[in-house]
Parts: sequence; C-alpha cells; structure tokens
Amino acid sequence: MELEDIVSKYPPKQIMLIPVVIIVLALISLGVTYLNTGSPVKLGVEFTGGTLVTVPATESEDAVAAEYAKYPLVDVRNIGNRYMIQFGPMSDSEYSDLAKQTVSKYGTDAEIRHMGPIYSKELQAQVLRYLPISFLLMAAVVFVVFRELMVSLLVVISALADILTAAASMNITGVQLSLGTVAALLMLIGYSVDTDILLSMRVLKRKGTTDEKIIGAMGTGFMMTGTTIAAVFSLIIVSNFLYLIIPSFTRMDIIADMTTVLIFGLAADIFNTWVTNAQGLRWYMNRPRKSARGQKR
Amino acid sequence: MSLLEDLSKDRRVVLYAVVLALAIILIGTMGLKFGLDLQGGSYLQLQLQGAVAQVDVTPEKILEVQFNASSVEKLGNSYVVMVPGIVKATLPDDLGYSGSKMVEQNNVTKITIIATPETVITNFLKTNLDADVKIVAVGPVQYEIRTNVTRDSLNALLAPVGGRVPTGENTFVDGVTVETVDETKKVLDSKLNRLGLQDIRVRVVDNKYILIDLAGMDVATAQDVVGKPGKFEIRIQTDNNQTIHVLYGDAVSSVEIPNGDRSGGWGVPFTLSEEGAAVFQKAAIDAGAVKSPDAHPISMYLDKDEIFSAPLAAELAGSLQKVPVRTLEARVGSGDAASEKAKELYIHLREGALPVNVVIVGSGQVSAALGKQFKVQMVIAGLIALLAVALMVFYRYRERRVVLPMVATSFSEVVMMLGIWSLAGWQLDLASLAGIIMVIGTGVDQLVIITDELIRGSEAVPVESDRSIKERAAEAAEKSGVGKAVATSSKVYLSRLSRAFTIILGAAATTAVAMLPLLYMGFGALTGFALIIIVGVILGTAIARPAYGRIIGHILAGN
Repeated sequence: MELEDIVSKYPPKQIMLIPVVIIVLALISLGVTYLNTGSPVKLGVEFTGGTLVTVPATESEDAVAAEYAKYPLVDVRNIGNRYMIQFGPMSDSEYSDLAKQTVSKYGTDAEIRHMGPIYSKELQAQVLRYLPISFLLMAAVVFVVFRELMVSLLVVISALADILTAAASMNITGVQLSLGTVAALLMLIGYSVDTDILLSMRVLKRKGTTDEKIIGAMGTGFMMTGTTIAAVFSLIIVSNFLYLIIPSFTRMDIIADMTTVLIFGLAADIFNTWVTNAQGLRWYMNRPRKSARGQKR
Repeated sequence: MSLLEDLSKDRRVVLYAVVLALAIILIGTMGLKFGLDLQGGSYLQLQLQGAVAQVDVTPEKILEVQFNASSVEKLGNSYVVMVPGIVKATLPDDLGYSGSKMVEQNNVTKITIIATPETVITNFLKTNLDADVKIVAVGPVQYEIRTNVTRDSLNALLAPVGGRVPTGENTFVDGVTVETVDETKKVLDSKLNRLGLQDIRVRVVDNKYILIDLAGMDVATAQDVVGKPGKFEIRIQTDNNQTIHVLYGDAVSSVEIPNGDRSGGWGVPFTLSEEGAAVFQKAAIDAGAVKSPDAHPISMYLDKDEIFSAPLAAELAGSLQKVPVRTLEARVGSGDAASEKAKELYIHLREGALPVNVVIVGSGQVSAALGKQFKVQMVIAGLIALLAVALMVFYRYRERRVVLPMVATSFSEVVMMLGIWSLAGWQLDLASLAGIIMVIGTGVDQLVIITDELIRGSEAVPVESDRSIKERAAEAAEKSGVGKAVATSSKVYLSRLSRAFTIILGAAATTAVAMLPLLYMGFGALTGFALIIIVGVILGTAIARPAYGRIIGHILAGN
C-alpha cells in the first residue's frame, strides 16, 4: 500500500525535510509580502479602511464607474446579478454624500459597508492581539491533554505549519485578509490539531508497533478531515461558484474568503498531521532509550 | 424492539431525546431571529471617546489663571479671588461658578466662589475641552473626560496652570467607565424608542463601541436619525389653564450631571443663555408665575411629550422679579426613584444628545432581498454539506446502519443548537449559518472517532473496506471475550468509549478555546460564528455524542 510506504519506508529524518522545506517556502512568501506591503498577507478593505457598495446590475459597469467617478473608486466587479464597487478611504462628508447618492438611486436594494480609519486600525490591533492568544490557548490545552513535552510540541508545531501554509496560500491565491479569513485562521488553529490529537493518542495509548498504529489512525483521520472538507466544499460551491451558473444567486464574500483559507489549511493539515507529526512521533517513539535522557545518539 | 427498550433505559440516550424534543418545541413556538445581514436594514458602529485620568494641579493656580487674579485664597469651602479692575458680571457663570458673590472696591474685584478643589479642576477641564467631566473615583481622584483626549493633549492643556498628569500607567486610561457606556446606550435606546422605530438593536462591544442595527431603514436615514437631536421646549401655564411657549432647546447652554444634595434630594442643574434667561424672566413675570408660582407651573417637553412639570421655587420666583437668572435646577424629589428620574431628565434636557463624544467608525446597509437570497443559498449549502458528509461516511463504512445514525446525530445537533438560539433570542447572521455548516462537518469527525474506536478496539490495522462492519465488530467482541448481547456494558466497550472521549474532549477543547478570541473581535461581526462553533462543540460532546456512543454500540453489537 502506498500510504504505508510513505509512513514507514524512509527514515523519519529524511522525510522531515519535506515539511521543513514547505515551512521555509511559506515563511519566504510571507516575508516577501511583508517587505513589499508592510504586512505578511495582503490586507483587505476591512483592514485598510474604505467602502464597499454592491448594487443590482441594471447598467453597464462603465456607466456605474462613471456615476461614482468623483469618489476614490478602486474597482468595479460583477458578482452575479450585482456589481461590487470598492472605494478607498474617504472623508466623512464624502461618505455621507456617497451613501445619500446610492440610497436615492437604489433605495434599500443597495448594500453598503463603510469602514472608517478607526475601525480598520482597531481591527488590525485586534488581530495582532487575538491571533497569538488563540494559538497559546490551543497550545495550553494540548499540553494539558498529553502532559508530555515532546508529543505536545509536535502537535503544536504541526498546527503552526498549517497556519503558516494557509497564510502563504492566501498570498498565492490572492485572497486578502478580511474578517472572514481571520475567522478561518482561528478556526484552523483549533481544528487542525484534532487529527494530531487523534494520532498522538492512538500512538501513545494503543498496543502495537508505531507504524501500524499510525496507519490505523490514518483511516480515521482521513475520514475526519474528509467530512470537514466536504462541508467546506459545499460552502465554496454555494458562495463562490453557484452564482456563475444560477443568475439569481450572488457571491457571498465573507463565506467565500473564509472557505478558501479553510480548504488550503485543511489540505496543509492532512500533510502536516500524517507526515510532519507522524514522522516526528516515529522518531520519538523509536528513539534509543538513552536519547530520552537528553544525550545525543 | 429490544434495541429501543435497552436504549430507553440509558440515561444519556433519554437526556439526548428530551433535549432534542425541547429544541424542536422551542423552535416551533418561539421561532428563529435573523441578523441584519439576512433581514435587511442598516447599521452604525460608534466609538465612545474619552479617558479616565488623574490630574496633578493646584486649584488656586487654575483660578488665578482663569480670572487673571492677583491673589487666590482658600477660606473654608470657598475660594476668595482678588482681581484688579472691574470684572464682567457674567464671568464666574461663564467659567461654571454659578452662585458666586462679587464685590468691587477700590478698583479691585473680590469674587467669592463656593467650590471644592475637585469642582475647580472639573470646571477647568469642562470649559477648556467643551465636554462633560465627571469624578469617577476618589483617593486618588480620577476624572472621566468624555471626549477625545490623549495623555499629551491633557498635559498640554494643564501646562499653563502648572499642572500635569502624574506619570504611571494607571494615571491615564483610554476609554470611559462601564456606567457611562451604559448611560450612552440608554440614551440611544430611549431616543430610538421615542421615534417609534421597531426592531432596533443597540449593543455594546468591548466597552468602547456601540453597535446599532436598524432593521428596514436605509443608511442615510439612519445616520440622520441617530445624529439628530430631539426637540426640547419649555412652556409655562397661563391664567386660563393653557400653556404658552417660552423657550426651545437652543436656549439651554449647558446641562449638569444630576447630583443628589445632602438631604437626598435630586435635581438636574442647567444653564440658560443670556437671551434665554431674559426671555424666561419676562415670560414668568407676564404669566404671573413670580407672584403665584403654584398656579403657573413650568413644564418641559421633548418631541411633544411632557417630561417635567413643577412650579417655580419661592426663592427663584423672588429673584426673577428683579433679575434674569441663568442657572436653574429642575428638582424631582428625593429617594432612589428620584435619582433615576433625574438621570432620565438629564438625558431629555440634553435633547437626547449623547453624554459622550462619539464618532461613527463604520456604517452600512444590507438589502432585504439580498438577505432573503442569502438565506436560501445557505439552506442549499447546508443540504449539500449534509449530503456530502453522508456520502463520505457511506463510502467508508458501506453500512446503512452506521450512516443513518451518524447523519441523524449530526443533524440533531444542528436542531439543538437552533433550539438554544431561539430560546436565548439570539440572532442568526450569515456567519452563524456558515458556522452551523462547519459544525456539521466537524461534528461528524467525532462520531467517526467513536465508531472507529468501538469497531477496531485494540487492534491497529489499516482499514479493510472489503470486510463488513458486522464482521469486524463481531471479531472485536469475540477477541475481548464478550458476548454480543452484553457488549455495551462490558469493560472493554466502556474503556474504548472512554478512550474515544479523551480524544474527542481534547479535540473539542482546542476548537472551542481557539474560537474564544473571536467572541470579542471585529466589533461583534463574528460573535455569532464563534458562538455557534463553541456551543456546537459543547452540545455535541456533552449530549449528542455520549448518546451516539450508546446507540451505535447497540447497533453494532445487536442482531
């Protein structure tokens, strides 16, 4: 079986090179974006400040763009039977005019989201504050569950690799950091360790050789991630693609963003659980007893 | 039938069934509330500006600078201020010291101000910042400044009077007190209620932001409504049992925060503009209120509703006969009820103006039609998710008897969750619905863990999909030396179940704690999502999965 090959054919140290390379690549991607833009991922309108307006698509995109030409227009996009018009930061009175103009033309059919500078600044501060808290809380729970430093550390490292990969994948796919993607990253922090916990529990608590136990856990673990991916996939289809087929449907931004990050994170999770974490456990469980006391082999 | 009988004796299964039934009844009777993004309407996000600060300054120095005085002396509970030359008669009133005595002698004016050191400091901050200032703590005294200030701007303001904010982290804290946030929320509530608006939700986030949802209103109107003051009017009763107009709200130049006096009486002090005071005096004399106050009560109206009515106090009636009086007080009696009434009157006197300076940090509107469409799309997404999950489960176990209970358990978790939401009256927004679909996906995970632990108890073999579950379960039962019928109470079964639950508890706890920060993030935009995931995890681990463990055990061991 191929799966078994991956798990047991090569010595752990060789296989571990792959996740190390992936983490390094992810860090490079985040680092390059950081050097270019000042933040490791591209910030969406919620974090930069600005206004989003979606209106029913009754005229051509150019006509709509012309109508809003006097405001700091960034982009007009077709999202199903509606246009999404994005504006950069503007003054309060400008926004007030914009809101009045939009309401007088489209009434309550228009959707408007305005994020002032205080809002976006506060949101940035919140993400910087809460993302690490979330991660630390997760790590604390993992340590309480296992009460074994090395095993817990492997779980936490796998989770970190998931988050880094998911964040790097945002840069590659062009998904910007929004409230939805932050929620997805937080969810990944908590969820991605589930399979790691399963794996480590099985390896620690069951009888049998480590390789057998890992392969046994794999079946359950693939199933777990599989059902979650199934749910995420149905959300992706409905929020992001259905509007291309069914004209009356509309793209649901917050959900489309959220699920794109989740799908990448979950893919990374499969890899990190069954390669990074599993190989780490193989090395740890099969290590010569002496090294357990801290001596080098 | 024996399966049902056995299960009905199990506490966990009974609890599960009862909770599920309750949830269905709750949803049926109380219904579900939907958030603004599914319902249509507009929202405003306000930030309350302010800070709580300590101040290091001598009141004498403040008075000296404010009055341009040659000397300031504290005598008992008053300050004696000597000012060279003649002082404008309204100066003390303008600076907030009403009831001061002024005597001019030998080209020197002697002003006696009755005030505590804290009053002097409060007045100084108030006049210079054009905002309310309130003492919120004593020892050390802390002032709540209800407008946008920074430590530096406050220091700059205090420098001319030789004062400063003491160094240290606790001497200047951004944000206002919980009471003030509450008060602001009440003002908004009462104002929006007075306008007769339906379906308004005012929430406080982070003790710093107030979020207002106005269902069925466009954002341009919403900004107008929240920003527009009410219409305040003072009227006086004339001879023929009629009231006539005296003043509008623009004549009220300031309103003080209500204060109880020593005898427990409550009142709201307010100041009229100079012209306002003259008009008020004339009206009181014309109506005859200065001669017989009881027959000609003064009443106040906000948006045509009477909010206060009382006769002129005897000494006020006396003074009004001679001079216009700028500083008045609306007295409402004594006791706790009066204290509440005073606070309410304070809000009304300010024409519904907010006690704190606020800025709109974000706003927007959602289309009702779009909301309806999103709801439909999410229901479709939910059904697709359920179907996809069922297919995955079937693909793995190839056994209808496992797939059905699994999908049913997962679905019942969703129902229970909706039951809680309808009981609590919480709103379901778009993100919450996405959360529910995520719970379908992650909830099944844990059922998979239970099933796998039970099926392949102590052996560690790869999945052999060519063997049926029955075979594997039977083999497992045989291996552990247990007969099929007693399997669910055997030690082996229970130890496997408990091992499954260690994994589940660990997994559930990590998911829940990682979501905790989201409850406080993003101005409440994702609170619903986080809450659904957390509650879903708790509900699943505490009620649904234990019952599922029993049921699936019976099914696997039975027939």
